[in-house]
This record gives sequence, structure tokens and C-alpha cells, in this order.
Amino acid sequence: MTSLSRTRFGKGEQAKGHAASLAVVLALGLVFSTAASLAAGTQVYDPKTRQWTDYNRTKAYQYYKLHKQVPESFRPQVVKFRTAEQPGTIIIDGNQHFLYLVQPGQQAIRYGIGVGRDGFGWAGIVKVGRTAEWPTWTPPAEMVARDPKARPWANGMPGGPDNPLGARALYLYEGGHDTIYRIHGTPEPWTIGLDVSSGCIRMNNGDIIDLHSRIKVGAKVIVLMQGAALYKGV
Amino acid sequence: MADLVKLALKVAVVASAIVLGDIRTKAADLVIAMPNWSSGQATANILKVSLKKEFGLDADVVEMGTMIAFAGLDSGQVDIHPEVWLPNLDTLVKKYVTDAATVAISPIGVPAWQGICANRTAADKYGFKDISDLSDPKKTEALDTDGDGKGEMWIGAETWSSTTIERIRANSYGYAKNLSLLEMPEDVGMAAVDAAEAADRPMVFACYSPHVVFKLHDIVRLTEPPYDAAKWKIVLPTEDPLWLSKSNAAVGWDTAHYHIAYATSLRKKHPEVVRFLEHVDFKPEEAIDMSYALQVERQPPYAYAEQWVARNEARVEGWAKP
Repeated sequence: MTSLSRTRFGKGEQAKGHAASLAVVLALGLVFSTAASLAAGTQVYDPKTRQWTDYNRTKAYQYYKLHKQVPESFRPQVVKFRTAEQPGTIIIDGNQHFLYLVQPGQQAIRYGIGVGRDGFGWAGIVKVGRTAEWPTWTPPAEMVARDPKARPWANGMPGGPDNPLGARALYLYEGGHDTIYRIHGTPEPWTIGLDVSSGCIRMNNGDIIDLHSRIKVGAKVIVLMQGAALYKGV
Repeated sequence: MADLVKLALKVAVVASAIVLGDIRTKAADLVIAMPNWSSGQATANILKVSLKKEFGLDADVVEMGTMIAFAGLDSGQVDIHPEVWLPNLDTLVKKYVTDAATVAISPIGVPAWQGICANRTAADKYGFKDISDLSDPKKTEALDTDGDGKGEMWIGAETWSSTTIERIRANSYGYAKNLSLLEMPEDVGMAAVDAAEAADRPMVFACYSPHVVFKLHDIVRLTEPPYDAAKWKIVLPTEDPLWLSKSNAAVGWDTAHYHIAYATSLRKKHPEVVRFLEHVDFKPEEAIDMSYALQVERQPPYAYAEQWVARNEARVEGWAKP
């Protein structure tokens, strides 16, 4: 299990994740690791070929179909997280496909996330301006024009299990105004760990329900530096 | 802490008309300006507790920005400022200390430095130990966070003048060619360090000390050639549109210090306090501890100060001795 030592988790976590990782090896011949994860896409280690390979949509779907859940790395777990940020702060690391909810005692709850095809699209500090349960999804005008499947929902798709926003949505505000970005659920749980969305942060419905239950409106959200081209002065 | 750097590292100080209201309560003997960063808040309260203990003087600790604090020191409405960074605030020092002589700077300063840091993973696993390592594209590829094959490095907040100088230094050393230099608020930069540590990922970033990051994480300062005034040629964007090409600074930063400042009117009013302030000798490690206690452990500044003075009783008494 050389590959496990290449994962980025601490010893305790490695032990915890060992059984799950072993199951992955047996099932797919893959050991998941985000140590080699790149913003261009997550990579996984294949011990048979000793190669790091892309963890793409097809492989993610296969894994989910087999295990009915995402790989261990992307499941909610309490991790050591030393920070000066207050408990209740959300820190989003799009590169590693993790969302941290800071907890007391220098810990955080870490959730797996799916992010935009080109990263999150921006970085900075925002707040949770409002939240919604089973939110309505209204496709942007250009999507309505481009995608026939979106057309019936031009005036809004009611919340429900097929709604792209999933079970909950946290609306991110900057300076009191909606940024149009959200942290939301998804009807496609296998997409966690991938760069697939159009800019928002997606989480499994169970995870976003859990996160929603733990945060307060006004919570600080820090989106880390990913997508360098979007930074001023680069 | 972001505001500390804004204050400490920003060079641009815009003079403005400042009107101070009546900030002193009737019962107070002294007014201590309190900055909005944690080590300054701790120091202001340590001075308050110490002055009460040693001299029986009541001091009001009032939060205010540096410009207002200097105006207050000048008018005598403020008596003490716990952290004045030099040479960063040289402009204010010239105006109030040198020219007007209404403000004095305590002679003992706390040494501070700035430069480029790496987390332990970056230093040990990826070999980032010297500034020259940043010019090796094979090494800096490990710092890539957006999949373009080129590493990223946070160089400070957009509003800090130090950020401009870090860009000049990156250009002068040459690593600007193989690193994307990111400008973001300090909270984003520090949260990125936290996340890199949590995920055992390498991170290289602009840093300064005293700073709480050194107590939160195992951080290594990259070595680099020492400051040399002859090799430090900085042209700021406000001075010349061709500032980047006209600047050159392939050496480390000069050492900075921060000092207690006080109104010279205090010399007549409370000479014992002046003597006390001129003996206060905080160490950089203490400033980090103060920041950690307030910023990470979220201890209330006054309660922390009471404990600090109790723990350092003999030292505080030493400062007060004639």
C-alpha cells in the first residue's frame, strides 16, 4: 500500500481510510489520493500500473455505482485544521475539492465538493447571505438559449430531487449583494471530486443538508486562490 | 492581522483632516490608542494594567486608527500608542516627532522582518529553502493550484505597498517568470496556508514576523542575500508608470522595528510614565504569543493583559523602577 503513504492525510486518517481504500483497490484497481490532484482534474493512483490517472466523470460514476457513495476522501470527516479563523467559517479549497467548516479546538469538518470546469472562477471573502431548502433553479438566459433541456424551466424549476441545486443552497453575498455563486446540493452525487459545474460549489445532498444545519446566515466564506488567471496583477 | 500589515507595510499615508471628539472619560488619567490588530490590542491593555498597578493611574483604552492616534498624540488627547512601525510610518514620524516635536518614540523597538516563507512540506519535501529555489520551474511546478503547470505564490494584499515591492523582488530575482504572483486579502492568503497544512500540500508565500502563522504552523523563512541599500532600488507605481522596469531589488528586506509612541506633553504630566514606557522591552516571540492568544484562542484583551502582567510581575516592576 505504498500509494496510501502518498495520500495527504495524517496517520490517523490513513488508518481510518484504509478499509475503504482497500475496497476501492479491489473494486476498481484504484487507490484514491488527492496528493496528485490538480485543478485540471483529480488524479488517482493505480497500483497495478503504478500510474497516476485522471479521476474523470466516467470513473467517478463507476465508483459511485459500485459503492453507492463517493470515495473516502470526499466523505464528511473531522480533520485537524489549525487556523486563526473563527469556528463557523467556511473555507473552500477548490483545487483539492474540499470544503472546510471550521470547528472549535483547531478542527474542521471536511466535505468533498465538485467545482467549476475552470475552477471556482474567483477567489476572495464572501458571506452566506441567505439559504434555501429545496431551492428553485432558474437557468441563465444563455443556457435556456443553448440547451433545449433547460428551456421548459426558463421561469424556474421547482425544488425537488431532480433539481440541479439539490436539497439546500447557500447564497453567497459580497457587500450585501448576491454574487450569483452558491454552495448547493446536487442530484449527481458522483460528480463530487470533479471539475464539472458552471462555477458554483456542489455537494452531496446529505452533506449540504448537514452543512446547512451547522452554519448561520452571515457566516464568513473564504474561497482560496485557484484559477490564477482571475487574480489581479497576474 | 490584515490591518496590522496594512499599517505596518503600507507606505502610502494620506494626510487628512481629523477631528477628535472628547475621547477621554472623566475618570481617566491617560488615553491609550488601541489598534485593531491583536498584538497592538494586547500591548495597549498590558500598558493599561501595568500603569494602574505601578502608578495607580487609570487609562482608557480606545480603539482608533493610526492617523487619528497621531493626531490625538499631537493635540494631547491621546497619551500613548503601543505600536508604531518604522520605517513604514516615517512620514508620520517626521511630521509629529521630528518637526512638531509633539510625539516621542520610545527608544526600544521590537525587531520585525519580512520575506518569503514556505511551509514545512514545501521546504522538506520540495526543497524550497532559498530564494533561488523559486527560480527553478521544476520545483515551482509543485506549487501549481490551477493546473496550468505554473506555480502560484501569494505576495500580499492588493492594497499593501509591500505587495508592489514583492512583485519588484520577484521580477529582480527572476522567479516572476515561473510563478504566478497572487494578490488577495490576507485572510485568503492565511487560510490557504491553513488548508495547505491540513492537506500536506506545499505552499510558498510572502510573510512577516511577528505573526501568528509562526505559532499556528511550522513555517520556514527562505534564505536570501541580506539587505543592501545600494541594491535596493524601488520605484513605486505612483511615481512612474514604468516602475517595474525601473526598479531592482534582488536582496532581502531591511529590518523593521516597532516602538511605543507617546505624547511629549506626558513628560511634564507624568514623567514616571515616560520613564516606564522607555523601558518596555517586548520580544518578537511575545508579540506572536499575544496575537495567538487573542486571535486564535480568542481571549479577551483585558483579561489576557491581567494574566500577562501577573506572570511578568518582576519585569513590569523593573520597567517602573526609577
